[in-house]
Amino acid sequence: MAQTVIGFKIRDRRRALGITQAALSARLGISASYLNLIESNKRNIGGALLKKIADELGVAVDLFDGAAERRLVNDLAELSGESIFSALQLAPAAAGDFASQHPQWAQALVMLHRAYHDRNEAVTALSDRLNQDPFLGDAIHSMLTNVAAIRSASEILENIDELDAAEQHRFLAIIAAESARLADVAQALAAFFDRARSSTRSVTPIEEVDDFIQEKESHFPQLEQAAVGIRAATGIGPGHVESALIDYLRQHHAVETRIAPLLAPDVAGPHAHGHYDPERRQIVLLETAPAPTRRFELARLVARLECGELIGAEIAASPLLGTPAARRRAERALHAYVASAVLLPYDDFLDAAVAARYDIDYLCHKFGASFEQVCHRLVTLKQPGREGIRFGFMRSDPAGYVTKRFPLPYMSLPRYGNACPLWAVYQAFQTPGVMVRQLAEFPTGDRYFFLARAVDKPLPAFSAAKHLISIMLVCEAIHADQIVYGDGLDLSSAAPTTPVGPTCRLCVRRNCALREEDPIINA
Amino acid sequence: MTARVLITEDEPNIVESLTFILKRAGYDVSAVADGEAAVRRLRGDPPDIMILDLMLPKLNGFDVLKLVKTDTLLRSLPVLVLSAKGQAYDRQLAEEIGADAFVTKPFSNRDIIEQIGRLCPAAG
Repeated sequence: MAQTVIGFKIRDRRRALGITQAALSARLGISASYLNLIESNKRNIGGALLKKIADELGVAVDLFDGAAERRLVNDLAELSGESIFSALQLAPAAAGDFASQHPQWAQALVMLHRAYHDRNEAVTALSDRLNQDPFLGDAIHSMLTNVAAIRSASEILENIDELDAAEQHRFLAIIAAESARLADVAQALAAFFDRARSSTRSVTPIEEVDDFIQEKESHFPQLEQAAVGIRAATGIGPGHVESALIDYLRQHHAVETRIAPLLAPDVAGPHAHGHYDPERRQIVLLETAPAPTRRFELARLVARLECGELIGAEIAASPLLGTPAARRRAERALHAYVASAVLLPYDDFLDAAVAARYDIDYLCHKFGASFEQVCHRLVTLKQPGREGIRFGFMRSDPAGYVTKRFPLPYMSLPRYGNACPLWAVYQAFQTPGVMVRQLAEFPTGDRYFFLARAVDKPLPAFSAAKHLISIMLVCEAIHADQIVYGDGLDLSSAAPTTPVGPTCRLCVRRNCALREEDPIINA
Repeated sequence: MTARVLITEDEPNIVESLTFILKRAGYDVSAVADGEAAVRRLRGDPPDIMILDLMLPKLNGFDVLKLVKTDTLLRSLPVLVLSAKGQAYDRQLAEEIGADAFVTKPFSNRDIIEQIGRLCPAAG
């Protein structure tokens, strides 16, 4: 695996900008000789100083610390598992060399891979539509029936001379009537195909937003600051969160809050718990929405009304968000980010988390937030110098479809398809509501602590079936002793672990009883 | 003795055209518009030949066909299956159940007359 040569990258960038070592070191508050040692890779630096250097040189920190490269390597590794490449027997281990020696080509390959998946999805959807859409079957049947009547009547009129006037009139009337019906069907078909052409959406906006958030390491310092301001202005405190937000919206934005038993289906999607109408300056919240959800919707609206410029600037500055769809999606994600920061203020939340040794239920109670909201917030505690444990996050539905992912730098979460069936995130479905903990070891020897729970998906209306989603947090096993859920587990290096892999296709554990698919590579 | 045709088809305009050309060809023609009515007619007053559409309300054409071809008394009744679903699958299924002929819509009048004539001449 190629080493990331941070020092050389810093030097290259500094020189490209025409800045001397003396000038840069002065701006950084370090000596020029120390900077020289750094640039010669004779000193390891990280964290705050690296961030400062990146800021001074006008680049994202992950350009230096290799996070972008690691993501590229992870993407290449996942790509290598595609069945179309099986005959090539690509070695995932060579991805590192490829990424560091030819990063643009490697990136091109990853982009093609995404476009490939995109096309596959679109083709499958269109094909399904043609084969299974009941409208099409009905339309074709109608058409054939109408034409049969027209043809039969026409043949009579053409071939039979001895028709009397009444009979002629009768068959002409049939042709007229059936032609009119046929015209309707033809128009409906044309409209159907018109819609089909314009309505395949790309899956890449989700990935663009994923990349954007990962590049920022799920932490947006300016949005955190804005959230602090909002919280102070709204006067949110324990016991009066919802009322404070409602009053604030009314007084500062002339927005009224209404609770309704149902949301009009044409304005809000099936999952929506709230809907904001900008023209009537009204936010409607669903009666059945749980309290943490209502608070979140209100906080999100405040973010939308007050942080538009800040969020817009954040999005415009990112080259990763190429399409309008991706930018809209990113905007919604950042509204949610601010809402989360308002309701779970950074300092209080971090202090409480550390003091409670990351007892998530305690944090849910203390801050009146849902399980998912707390887990998601834990991922964002990355303020330099005031970080929490570094967590990865994954949310899966019972079919294994991953609906949210924040991977760790060295442990990737699958983008397409499912992960290893042994992972706690799937086990959690068997014991809904129970925290499942797992010490997992990958074939590389890396050990991670998995923490998962299947929770009820909040649905707007009564549903007879239980709908669960599973949420998993991941951290390096070495930190598990700081987590209450690690108590009672043997965390020593000799401890028994669950041998897992990334996903069957990429995993070298040949004797695993749960293996679903042969590995692409022959170990 | 004039041969009697029963048309089982729910589209009235098609029934009208078929009735016209079959009468002209010398047949006695009657019609029913759904599968259950067809079964009642078959039990009570069976024709000499039946034209059967597959997409029918109440009882579908396949069920009617199966009823005819598994009934000891009715199984010799010639059935010409008419369908807008002209896929190979439907044709094969109809033939397996015992249809004597299969015509897809939109049909030509001449085809119908020829097939009916082959299976059951007008003057018996």
